Amino acid sequence: MTTVTRAGATRRGARKGGPQDQARAVNYLWLLPAFVISVAVIYFCVGYTAWISLLNWDGISPDPVFIGIKNFTRMAADPVFWDALQHTVIFFVVTFVGQAFLGFVFAVLLHSKLRFAVLYKIIIFVPVVIAPATMAPIFRVMYTPTGQVNNLLANIGLGFLQQPWLGQSNTALLVILSIAIWSGTGISFILYFAAMGQIEQEIIEAARLDGAGSLRVLTSIIWPNLRGTTVAIAMLTAIGSLKLFDIPQLVTAGGPNYATEFLGTLIYRQSVPLNAVGYASALSMTLLVLAVGAAILLRLTGRERGERRA
Amino acid sequence: MSFRWITKRKARAAVAIVATGLVMASLAACSGSSGAQGSATKANLTWWGWTPDQAVAENAIKAFNKQYPNIHITFKKIQDADYAAALRPALASSSGPDVFNLLVGGTGATVKTYGVDAVDLTPAMKKLRGSNWKQGLFATGVTDFTVGGQLKAAPIGKVASGMMWINLDLFNKFNLKPPTTLAEWKSVCKVFRANNLGCFREGVDPAGFEQDTLHTIANSVRPGFYEKAIAGKAKWSDPAMVQTLTIWKNLQSDGILDPGALGIQQYPDVNNAFLSGKVAMVQMGTWYRQYTRTDTLKAALQGAGVADTSKLLTMVPIPFPDVAGNGNTIAAFSDPDYALAVNKKSKHIAAAETFATWLGGSKAGQQVIANNLDEDPVLAGVTPDYGAVPLVNAKEQTPYLDWLSKYTSNVTEARLANISGTLDQALLDSASSTLGNKATPSQAAQTLQSQSGQ
Repeated sequence: MTTVTRAGATRRGARKGGPQDQARAVNYLWLLPAFVISVAVIYFCVGYTAWISLLNWDGISPDPVFIGIKNFTRMAADPVFWDALQHTVIFFVVTFVGQAFLGFVFAVLLHSKLRFAVLYKIIIFVPVVIAPATMAPIFRVMYTPTGQVNNLLANIGLGFLQQPWLGQSNTALLVILSIAIWSGTGISFILYFAAMGQIEQEIIEAARLDGAGSLRVLTSIIWPNLRGTTVAIAMLTAIGSLKLFDIPQLVTAGGPNYATEFLGTLIYRQSVPLNAVGYASALSMTLLVLAVGAAILLRLTGRERGERRA
Repeated sequence: MSFRWITKRKARAAVAIVATGLVMASLAACSGSSGAQGSATKANLTWWGWTPDQAVAENAIKAFNKQYPNIHITFKKIQDADYAAALRPALASSSGPDVFNLLVGGTGATVKTYGVDAVDLTPAMKKLRGSNWKQGLFATGVTDFTVGGQLKAAPIGKVASGMMWINLDLFNKFNLKPPTTLAEWKSVCKVFRANNLGCFREGVDPAGFEQDTLHTIANSVRPGFYEKAIAGKAKWSDPAMVQTLTIWKNLQSDGILDPGALGIQQYPDVNNAFLSGKVAMVQMGTWYRQYTRTDTLKAALQGAGVADTSKLLTMVPIPFPDVAGNGNTIAAFSDPDYALAVNKKSKHIAAAETFATWLGGSKAGQQVIANNLDEDPVLAGVTPDYGAVPLVNAKEQTPYLDWLSKYTSNVTEARLANISGTLDQALLDSASSTLGNKATPSQAAQTLQSQSGQ
């Protein structure tokens, strides 16, 4: 509030066209490069995609046909689109819970005095920096009917669980989820690890003096203090879920039977192999709205809770 | 912080300069190439395609360079599933390939969509072959790659499908004969499985190879039905298609089709498994004949990661078993395969035209295509010179290859040429949903009809 009042006073007090006003106007010049780049690279593309979403166009032909909102009505009637949305929700819930849980557990363990802690940190974080394109062929081999996963199951006496993991609708999504959790846990671990370091030691010591055990300290002191981090992880996972493309495309190509189809893979399928660029743009615009909406919702949720606590 | 040394006037001038620069840059970006043709006999060219294999392409380039030593060509092979995704932005830019492959139908880089970016090769063909340039060339190929009266790509070869390829060494090792009926096929597969080998492996993926199997089964059920359905003259919900999908589904439950077909890709998964001897049978078309050549097979095995390439498999084509049990002769089906297009934005259009038309329209180029065994040539009268082709096991393979030549010599049915992208996806969905128990064959056939776009 103070800032607003001061700014208002300055605005009223300054002479129009005076040196201060001139200088402020000139300062906007320094925003120009960033403004031009963001307009050219991001907002122009968004606007262009919005325009294409109103066309029946293969992306190459010189004579696209304007069809209004038909691509959007087609989308609403497309069961694959709804399947993709459902998979996105499942993906978000499972990967968020999985990554947050594992990240929290690893962070707690590595805040205790473990030997070789640095080595463990590296091991946990390495999957984050490995490109999915590098790992995808390995996962494809691992999960084939004659791959290492089935071999392992057979060798530990669980041969009855062997199956073509990537070839069945009910198991392919599980594989995608497992890969995503494996590759994303390092991020949540790092965030939790850093956030735990910010919790004041005095609070924990006071709790211990009051007789709280380790589990009580974890649930009543540490976990509530990590709420902001958890909201950040939720936000990252939600946006990541909506943008998801690389893992399902490279491992299952959205199949079998669209069992691992996400918005990203559906957009690719429509725009590249099927040359339905107009429809793919309608899907892209929907994805944009969902991503922005999810980010706002999570942000508001996090803020509300924070305010309630305060 | 303020910057008093910048006056409003200077600021306006700076904005004007930046804005003018942006406009100029945009205009430059939109203006495209200068349209220069360049030299017809001297250039460095890039050629992109999903086929042929690197070694096969090198053979063609080597032969071309005997006649045109100053045109250097670099071939870049891109997996077919990724080809269209790579090609689209490349053609939109000014640094795309000079020469690129196009296909005739289905999904991906079809001539109908991507032909917009290709130059008309008719004048170059006339220059090479005279005003009657079409004479002697595969007429269907010329027609299929002509859009709006312009030859958008030079057809290079033909491919046919409808046959199986088997690892003859494995069949001989277990004293097995190639199956001719469904019962024999089941029995053969039992033996292979008992010896920890795959039997018939296929990848059901967007590349669409399972369509060859559906087409073949349909030709066993009722010859000619599948082609009529593609043309919209028969319903996909016809009992013949229901029976086709039932047989397809039963291939898996009968232990013929290897498990996991929905989770693997024909290339590279199935191809690598077959070439490295882990699987006894695959359904591939005439393009698979290239691996009867020692040099091509060795290169492919190295590409598949097989360390020791000293023992090469003897692979041979056989007729598809009579799976419907109707005693029908199962006809092959054929398409022009890839065709070479020349990028409108190339700085070496003339040299690129020289290469594309030489490979697709000259006797020397077509002889290379024939001897590569990857494709059947599109120029009449050109046949493989088996004396010059190093076969892995000539004694065993030659009779089968002779059969293949006869089998594919009078093909009348098209393979993918008349299949739209929408129908292509609908066929994949029907094959996947049946195999994955998401739909009964009858339901899948009904859905196929409704989603076929017909």
